[in-house]
Amino acid sequence: MFLALLTVLESRRPSPDATLVRNLVRQDVNSFEQLYDRHSRAVYALVLRILEQAATAEEVVQDVFLQLWRNSAAYDPDRGPFLPWLLTLARNRALDHLRLKSERQRRREDQSDELPPVASAPEYERELDERRRAERVRSLMGSLMPQQKRAIELAYFEGLTHSEIAERLKEPLGTVKSWIRNGLLRLKEGFEAAS
Amino acid sequence: MSDRDRFRELIEAYVLGALDPEERSAVEAHLAEGCAECSKARDEARWLVSQLAYLAPEAQPSDLLRGRLLETVHAEARAKHARKSSRSVPFWMWAAVAALLVFTLYTSWETVDLRRQIAESIARAQAEIAKRNELQEMLETNIVTDPRSVRIPMASDKKDMPQLEARWHARFGIVVAGQNVPAPSGTRTLQLWLIPKVQNGKPIPSLMLRPDAGGKFMLLVTNPPETMEATKALAITEEPAGGSAQPTTKPIWVGTVGSP
Repeated sequence: MFLALLTVLESRRPSPDATLVRNLVRQDVNSFEQLYDRHSRAVYALVLRILEQAATAEEVVQDVFLQLWRNSAAYDPDRGPFLPWLLTLARNRALDHLRLKSERQRRREDQSDELPPVASAPEYERELDERRRAERVRSLMGSLMPQQKRAIELAYFEGLTHSEIAERLKEPLGTVKSWIRNGLLRLKEGFEAAS
Repeated sequence: MSDRDRFRELIEAYVLGALDPEERSAVEAHLAEGCAECSKARDEARWLVSQLAYLAPEAQPSDLLRGRLLETVHAEARAKHARKSSRSVPFWMWAAVAALLVFTLYTSWETVDLRRQIAESIARAQAEIAKRNELQEMLETNIVTDPRSVRIPMASDKKDMPQLEARWHARFGIVVAGQNVPAPSGTRTLQLWLIPKVQNGKPIPSLMLRPDAGGKFMLLVTNPPETMEATKALAITEEPAGGSAQPTTKPIWVGTVGSP
């Protein structure tokens, strides 16, 4: 009973990220510094994976954190956790950069000049730290068929569409669609099972 | 398969950004129609897709990036703070407020003082009027009762007119009094004239007065325009409001001035 009550109280307590982001509204540099130290590695790793150039990746990371600093009110802590939102913002910016370079048209869900919506996380996600989270994602991805994993990575890290992936892998369009959908569903089931 | 099921199958790929333009537009149109199930699936898929970021190999940005970023943020915070400080009630606004306050207090004080002055003036005027009335009554009484005053009966040719009586005191002036005197028509007034003894001398105009509502008539001339010795008679005519320089009507009352 006591543990249940404690769990409920814990779930209602604002996360450190939420508190720090709220402080940004009143230009609290110290809170910004803490947020950067907590998440800059994850953001940089993602952007570098997409752009594959350290100097360009650092430019994009700088843009992402400056956007957070200047427009922190765009993130609503009540809608979902901070880091998935920040990573989505970083991915969008990195893919924009990539597309500008390759002069491709934008095709993603979120427009590059807008801030991404906040993703609501399942309840069990609150208890996972970043390291365990990363280990779990890699483990689950490792359990997918190599083609599924490759297709998902091409979509996520390179921003390719079904047709572009099919062309790149020289596979039928329907097959690529199935790989991506089934792969994502298996990931989802894997997250739920791991919880 | 229903439309909803078909779109539901596309939601994860839509969030991933893998849909081709036609499918993407179709899904967006479907979501815009308000499909609750697909909207919920989209929200869940956003979190799922965000987890793919952990597939990126670990990496750490340079300390230079951290330094550049914090330098920029510190500078912007200082600039914003400075702008905020400069925006927070500038000196001229305080000065304007102070001036307005002083002006308001001054005008309030001025108003109060002006009212006080007006009240004092009214009181002084009323006192002056009362004093003058008192003096006038005292003077009239003195003139009427002093045995040195010369009594001048003023008769009228008209039978319905009462007789008036004037008394002339060499020092205090002339008093003309009467009872049941009918009021002149309209705004016309009764005017006193001094008829000089010199031959062909023109009547000298004096004061004007209308009898009160009860017909009482009491005219006091404290400074007659001519001496008693040089005056042959007193006369009263009816004149337009404001009086005349010379009589315009025949005298109603005439009284011969005798010796004092």
